[in-house]
Amino acid sequence: MREMTAMSTIWTLSGFVTDDPWDHKGDGTGKPVLSLSDALAKSELSNDPIAVRIDPADDVSRLGPIIDRVVFVAVNFPAFNDGRAFSHASLLRDRLGYGGEIRAIGAVLLDQVPFMLRVGIDSFAVSHEPTIRRLGERRLSGIDLHYQPTARPSAVGDSYSWRRKSAS
Amino acid sequence: MYRYDEFDHDFVRARVDQFRDQVARRLTGEISEDAFKPLRLMNGVYLQLHAYMLRVAIPYGTLSSSQLRKLAHIARVYDRGYGHFTTRQNIQYNWPKLSDMPAILDQLAEVEMHAIQTSGNCIRNVTADHFAGAAADEVADPRPYAEILRQWSSLHPEFSFLPRKFKIAITAAEHDRAAIQVHDIGLQLKRNSDGELGFAVYVGGGQGRTPMVAKLIKEFLPETHLLSYVTAIMRVYNLHGRRDNKYKARIKILVHETGVDELAAQIETEWAHLKDGELTLPEKDVEAITAYFAPPDLQPRGEGWGELAAWKRSEPAFSDWVGRNVAPHRHPDYGMVTISLKPIGGIPGDASADQMDAVARLADEFAYSEIRVTHEQNLVLPHVALADLEPLWRGLAAEGLATANAGLITDIIACPGLDYCALANARSIPVAQEISNRFASPARQAEIGELKIKISGCINACGHHHVGHIGILGVEKKGAELYQITLGGSADENTSIGEIIGRGFESERLTDAIEVIVDTYLTARNDSSESFIDFYRRVGPAPFKAALYGGEVEAA
Repeated sequence: MREMTAMSTIWTLSGFVTDDPWDHKGDGTGKPVLSLSDALAKSELSNDPIAVRIDPADDVSRLGPIIDRVVFVAVNFPAFNDGRAFSHASLLRDRLGYGGEIRAIGAVLLDQVPFMLRVGIDSFAVSHEPTIRRLGERRLSGIDLHYQPTARPSAVGDSYSWRRKSAS
Repeated sequence: MYRYDEFDHDFVRARVDQFRDQVARRLTGEISEDAFKPLRLMNGVYLQLHAYMLRVAIPYGTLSSSQLRKLAHIARVYDRGYGHFTTRQNIQYNWPKLSDMPAILDQLAEVEMHAIQTSGNCIRNVTADHFAGAAADEVADPRPYAEILRQWSSLHPEFSFLPRKFKIAITAAEHDRAAIQVHDIGLQLKRNSDGELGFAVYVGGGQGRTPMVAKLIKEFLPETHLLSYVTAIMRVYNLHGRRDNKYKARIKILVHETGVDELAAQIETEWAHLKDGELTLPEKDVEAITAYFAPPDLQPRGEGWGELAAWKRSEPAFSDWVGRNVAPHRHPDYGMVTISLKPIGGIPGDASADQMDAVARLADEFAYSEIRVTHEQNLVLPHVALADLEPLWRGLAAEGLATANAGLITDIIACPGLDYCALANARSIPVAQEISNRFASPARQAEIGELKIKISGCINACGHHHVGHIGILGVEKKGAELYQITLGGSADENTSIGEIIGRGFESERLTDAIEVIVDTYLTARNDSSESFIDFYRRVGPAPFKAALYGGEVEAA
């Protein structure tokens, strides 16, 4: 992606994060975030909290036995059109009951952010300048009406069972 | 038919605003063309050879007369006065301006239509039997389930960036008119021994460069589990479908490489987690959606029987048309009328704005204001009293819409081909036109009987050549167009992929070759009750090869 720069900004629904502790890029600037296999190996050796990066081909359900110790997950979108992390996040929330932070890393673009929010991703490493600007203005490009339930809770309303509504 | 409620209206309007914002950001350069492409595709906007193309969704091929009038209006105002009905029951406009797209989408929203997910690597328009709700042989109307799937799949956040496009088709009869076995998911609505409704589920069918017939993975899925089970299929596909090669990214390849039993087991495991959860369909919701599709109140019109017999005696052209284009309705006093969009020498699937208006008017007058689009690129009026057939026929004939060729050799499916499409290697439309002209004689067509010719201008197979009784595939060889012929394909309940008969033909020799194939069949068939496809299945390719190539050594 040409728009991507090395610098990324962390955004959540509460705004930009200035004191982010995580080194999800592996450049030694914060607390380490391990690959899935390293995280599983480490979990055998200690009872420390675990921060893990899920890459597209990973089987996220392997975190199941140690999910109570997981404190941070980065889900990786190596390209905007690789949608596997949408399923990873859904499984983390719905199947594994993970309640901590899930951060989208990689190709994070404005038009994908509403979809990412709905599958339970709640933090975003963004380097695309126009996206950062719009997120800063809180002008997301999503639609508040949904035709399917997803990991992020939304109101059921009095319509058909599959419909949902987000607070705008 | 289904009507939007407030939720649907608000959703579609929000979607138009969202797309308007995306177009604006693209025009200022905030979004790269790379990143914009999937966004515009998810709204049906393609860049073709000469212009942008807009594909408008016609869910399960069902239209009201007011919707068809709007499609005519768009053709007149924003295009060159016509539209093109597609093999996925949609309509395409070939010449709209990108800057007009938001306005066109506004117009569509007024009549409860949109272009959502008519392209892109997402769940596409759900197609269904074009005779749904009228055919005598269906167990129930399949369209309520298609509508539920349409809603559930609309802007689905987990499944909008799949490895590749994803197509679902539903039929509700043993005789499959929706080609479900060449879809990513094919659903056959059926009843179990207790009389409950559910689906036989097929997965992994498709055409393109690797044609495959779908595999049955579930004999009977109770209707209440439709969304949880389809979600399980989609999740397994999203996580495990190949993304390294777009030509190997469809679910058919995953089925093939994983093995159908293993993949079915993975789906079953995933489904065990989802089953009986929040995707369970409550009976009252299925009933509420089904109520929208209640058939019109068809009054007895027994007088039509006598009138029809008299008209047929006095007007042979009318009699031919009734024989070819009118199928029995479940109500004995009514018929299902196919309006052929295959006039002799015409462009398959094209309709002018005036013709669309005329069909809308005739549907209001004679057919309860309902129209269907077929995957064979024709239109259907599903409920017409026999007593109204003659004035309807006169009305259609006045617009050039009474061609009596449904299911015959001139009822050809063809993709847009090199005349429009950026992917094509060869022209399709002129090939269809020449074959149509060669076999124009009604008597000759009647003698040949049912014969489906399907033409694709490239290996992507949009013209369904793999499942044509005679399939024609345009390829490019050393800078020239060459046409490969396959025989024996079929897309019904006995789905089969056609076999390549031998080396290809230059365009100027192609129609002669088709004639040789047809004459071979006519000469050697048992009698006129043995159709072309039955004959081919009995004798195989040998007599056709001999007639086409004689003693020549075959080259690929």
